[in-house]
Amino acid sequence: MQPAAARRSRPVALLQAALPYLVIAAVLLLWEVLVRLNGIQPIYLPAPSSILRYLVAMLLDGSLPYHLAITFVRIMAGFLVAAASGILVGVIMGMSRLAARIIDPWIGALYPLPKIALIPLLIIWLGTGESYKILISAVTAFFPVAISTFAAIRQVDPGLIKAAKDLGASRHQRQLKVVIPASLPGIFSGLHLGMGVTIIMVVAAEMIGGSSDSGMGYLLVHAGQVMETEKVFAALIALAVFGAVLTSVQKRLDRLVAPWADGQH
Amino acid sequence: MEIAVDDLVQAFGDAPNTVLALDRVTHRFPAERVTCILGPSGCGKSTMIQIIGGIEPCTSGKVTIRDSGSSADRPLGSRSVMVWQNLNLFPWRSVVDNVAFGLEMHGMAREERQERARAMIASVGLRGFERHRPAQLSGGMRQRVALARALVMERPILLMDEPFAALDAQTKIVMQEELIRIYERSKKTILFVTHAIDEAILLGDEIVVMTARPGRIKDVIPVDLPRPRTQEMVNTPEFGRLYDRVLHLIREEVLSAMRQQEQAVN
Repeated sequence: MQPAAARRSRPVALLQAALPYLVIAAVLLLWEVLVRLNGIQPIYLPAPSSILRYLVAMLLDGSLPYHLAITFVRIMAGFLVAAASGILVGVIMGMSRLAARIIDPWIGALYPLPKIALIPLLIIWLGTGESYKILISAVTAFFPVAISTFAAIRQVDPGLIKAAKDLGASRHQRQLKVVIPASLPGIFSGLHLGMGVTIIMVVAAEMIGGSSDSGMGYLLVHAGQVMETEKVFAALIALAVFGAVLTSVQKRLDRLVAPWADGQH
Repeated sequence: MEIAVDDLVQAFGDAPNTVLALDRVTHRFPAERVTCILGPSGCGKSTMIQIIGGIEPCTSGKVTIRDSGSSADRPLGSRSVMVWQNLNLFPWRSVVDNVAFGLEMHGMAREERQERARAMIASVGLRGFERHRPAQLSGGMRQRVALARALVMERPILLMDEPFAALDAQTKIVMQEELIRIYERSKKTILFVTHAIDEAILLGDEIVVMTARPGRIKDVIPVDLPRPRTQEMVNTPEFGRLYDRVLHLIREEVLSAMRQQEQAVN
């Protein structure tokens, strides 16, 4: 609009865009310098440069991709089970008052229970194999998905339902063509919460299951036990990047499926 | 279509805390005319047209719709269709899919309903915006989509619940002219709820003035301005006389409604 203002603000905008990265670079540099100057043992705090060396080595020898892939498959399995069952239960509760009354006390009692506390029981029942890891993450993620779905359906604008009825939509059509699409943004925010806890629970289950020999949780515990602190840091960085990628892919999928809901959650 | 309401009563809540929204309302809304329903907020005017439209059940009373036999419409479903105060467009549907919603619900084939919806969109002046979503349109354009979605159903009765209340003054004038044009072309029976006196006079063949809660009909004022109506009529002495008369009626009711609200707060 105003060319003078635009010219002045352009370098400022560029600096603002670059600032977060500059801060990251500065923190890493400070870390490197402090570790080197004080001669801190790598077993306590390795320098970023040596973590990077380990990260590259673990990528090249295939150990990091292997464990990451296994964890990814477990997360997807747990997430899909939680998403399907959570959406189904949430929709049933949202559509039927009776179902909501029957299911609500169960959710009320089980949701606040820390799901990690179920690990001993699940290991007794299922052993430390795949089904235990998938089930513990699915059970944890089920609750936010079901609760968000239920809430989203309940909060659908009654005006939209009235308008659909006036235009001749049957009860079934109102549910399918109005209630479900109107509650999609709310269901998506439940799926985001569910994905977050699935990642946490899969890695936790991999750490706790004694006989587990694969996955990022195993990699972390194993490296920690033999005091390979560089490996621990490398695994943590890989997990953080991995989690960020999963979340952003999920956001992109949301936008693809429900572009009208952009910015609603 | 003549609409007769007899002893319409609408009470909300359980005894002893019932609130009477409509109290024995009886009126004949003339066929193929525009009747404007004017009253203070909370007088039950929206409730009344929702009952007439079959959207809300009433506590007691009767709504009779009589076919005058002259309508060329081929209505889909019920005989009336509502244009809502807050529009109630479906935000996930494009303009064309919003307009085609009712046709889709009645099982019309995709090609035919899209064709009819497109024709209606063009006739309200939105050609080229078929693929836009409601959020991408201005308030006035969204209003046109809501109008098109109702008109495409070809129902002989159009119920309008303060449809232009949220628009800015200029857009409102344009939309009023649009409605006048639609009326002249289709001769539908229109019930138009508003709280704007000038709008009621400009659009209506008669004005039903309602009392503050509980809603009763205070007076019915015929508007004898010639048709087709134009915005220029606002400056005629007849318009001014009508305005004064309605204002006098409505002022008492607005004051009474304000007293009710004050009591409710205290």
